[in-house]
Amino acid sequence: MLRTSLTTAMVVALMANAAQAQTAADVLETYADIAEAKYADSLRTAEALKDAVTALTETPSAATMTAARQAWLEARVPYQQTEVFRFGNPIVDDWEGQVNAWPLDEGLIDYVDSTYGGPTDANQLAALNVIANPTFTLSGTEIDATEITPDLLREALHEADGIEANVATGYHSIEFLLWGQDLNGHGDGAGDRPWSDYAEGDACTNGNCDRRAAYLNVATDLLVSDLDWITAQWAEGGAARTALMADEKAGLSAILTGMGSLSYGETAGERMRLGLMLNDPEEEHSCFADNTHNDHYYNGIGIQSVYLGQYVRVDGTMVSGPSLSNLVAANDPGLDMEMRTRLSAAVLALGRIKTAAEAGFAYDEMLRRGNEGGEALIMGGVEGLIAQTRSIERVVAALDLGGIKIEGSDSLDNPSAVFQ
Amino acid sequence: MRALPILALTFGLALPASADVETALDRHILPAFAAFADRADALAQTAALDCRPEAVRPAYQAAFDAWMPVADLRLGPSETGALSVAFWPDPRGATQRTLARFIAEEDPVALNPQDYAEVSIAARGLFALEMLLYDAAFADYAPGSYTCDLVTTIAADLGHQAAALDRAWQTDFAQTLRSAGDAGNATYLSPDEALRALYTQILSSVEFTTDRRLGQPMGSFDRPRPTLAEARRSRRSLRNVVLAAEAAHDLAAALADWDLPETDAALGRVRLAAERIEDPAFQDVAAPQGRLRAEVLQQAVADLRQTIEVEIGAEYGIEPGFNALDGD
Repeated sequence: MLRTSLTTAMVVALMANAAQAQTAADVLETYADIAEAKYADSLRTAEALKDAVTALTETPSAATMTAARQAWLEARVPYQQTEVFRFGNPIVDDWEGQVNAWPLDEGLIDYVDSTYGGPTDANQLAALNVIANPTFTLSGTEIDATEITPDLLREALHEADGIEANVATGYHSIEFLLWGQDLNGHGDGAGDRPWSDYAEGDACTNGNCDRRAAYLNVATDLLVSDLDWITAQWAEGGAARTALMADEKAGLSAILTGMGSLSYGETAGERMRLGLMLNDPEEEHSCFADNTHNDHYYNGIGIQSVYLGQYVRVDGTMVSGPSLSNLVAANDPGLDMEMRTRLSAAVLALGRIKTAAEAGFAYDEMLRRGNEGGEALIMGGVEGLIAQTRSIERVVAALDLGGIKIEGSDSLDNPSAVFQ
Repeated sequence: MRALPILALTFGLALPASADVETALDRHILPAFAAFADRADALAQTAALDCRPEAVRPAYQAAFDAWMPVADLRLGPSETGALSVAFWPDPRGATQRTLARFIAEEDPVALNPQDYAEVSIAARGLFALEMLLYDAAFADYAPGSYTCDLVTTIAADLGHQAAALDRAWQTDFAQTLRSAGDAGNATYLSPDEALRALYTQILSSVEFTTDRRLGQPMGSFDRPRPTLAEARRSRRSLRNVVLAAEAAHDLAAALADWDLPETDAALGRVRLAAERIEDPAFQDVAAPQGRLRAEVLQQAVADLRQTIEVEIGAEYGIEPGFNALDGD
């Protein structure tokens, strides 16, 4: 009774109409162009971060520390808009963990406050502190970390012992090295790592400044090379673009799978509602920098951007073209209107969180037990994202894409990773 | 029986789709919520009379049993409400940490079941109670102690949650599902959408059982993780797998008004594989034989998903929507 012949007729009509306006191939091409532009912008801003990190580690000062933090914040803006390419595109999914893994047991990397605790049941390496320990044992193997190298971070430490909380690379490891732990709990303020953690000689605070600087440089280099790689995958002839274009139906399905999975399971569920229900100030996506409001907001913007086929680049120019919105509107203008309305409503709700946070009501304060204003703001975002997911499902049904591929392989392949 | 939906499809007519949704509600979902509310209330009353572990445990086990038929639903009132009844998995040990902090600080919130609704979900519901009733680090508390009060409060809060869920399902949300497609129903614009929503719940429940209830303790061959088994302290891990599979089967059977021979057989294989498991808490998955038996059970549950997809999904021509496990 679900897919009636009416639906089939609709799809045939839709494809016919669409051919006049734009084809599915055009829509896929716009999507791939936007992916390439977003990753290229992420690369460009990561290179700026690299320059700032070099300046910090060569001439440590309050000013170079502040500049590096600012560069990190700017780099997050395009990157968070790319998360909508996850889930639907296996190439992105397989790669993403080394770039944006979260949450992390930061004691793996560097010193932490005494309240952090030591190794936990779930993670024996939670307090390893590789910056302070040039040699250590990892799952029975002696590791020589006297020199901090890309291989050490990527091969030995990242997801060590099969635990996803062992995050050695990516944005959030760099965030920790720039801000340090946020010890304010639900109170005002982000992490406050002193710039002198990178100072030379006697001015060095908290020890091992040279190793810390080496770690930060290597992690930032890896981020740049990772973003360079993924950008190439979306270029003309790149593997991600080729895979997307290979099958029109599968390609459209990939777009919608990414939109729906990021909206529902990932952002609304894992990152927002769960954190709120746990009342845990560390249950925020950027807990060191207190940048979580932007993480969620730019996720929302990214989801909207692939539907509308429009992306504003970091230099202000616009990448746009035939969109999924056009394709849906060609046959079912009502559904397109519903989808666009819901996307706008979610962005508005996420924008309210951002507005309040930028006015001083930080995301970790919103998570505090019994904070009604914070709860209302966060749940507004959650509900907006859930509502748009329902419309995404309707678009999938209307386009007759053979259902949505359920994203479950990650947990099958790596069961310890299920709550990344 | 089976010819009917096919006939309807042929003519492109919608059956009164709510017939199937009605059956799912009346035969499975609503009675289960009512029973859970009863059991949770009994648990609260038991804990109020005598908070000691040995006194509370039987009522606890009964309440958990009653929860399982609806444990994996994530729609309507359960979209948000289920997590505070059963917060698991807990990869960062939030339940242990939060309860230990309450006890160390003697947080006065434990004295008031009404206020308790505000606390972290890690300290609420079945898994918080399990930690206090079964974990050696907590379960030696004396009557009259702070921990004793905490047990009473968590049980009372759970009773309130169960009653609220029952009420919300029986009144508002059942009606939302029943009236799918009616003018004025903004949630489900057609009967099909309600059907798809329930179907998605069945498949995601089975997926949760294979990936997490079983996959998590199994870990990899080189690195099994028995301490990550669901409800291992109360030794319910295996029981929960079987009850969840039975719930998925029952809900599937209610949704279809035709016979499901393959799905019935698949459930039979799940039960058979479960009987061969030696440790009900999956603590033997580190040994090769234990792991093998767990793999057989995991495969049987995965097969159950397949048969449901074939016998119900394909039959209706529906595909699942997004579920809470999407993402990572």
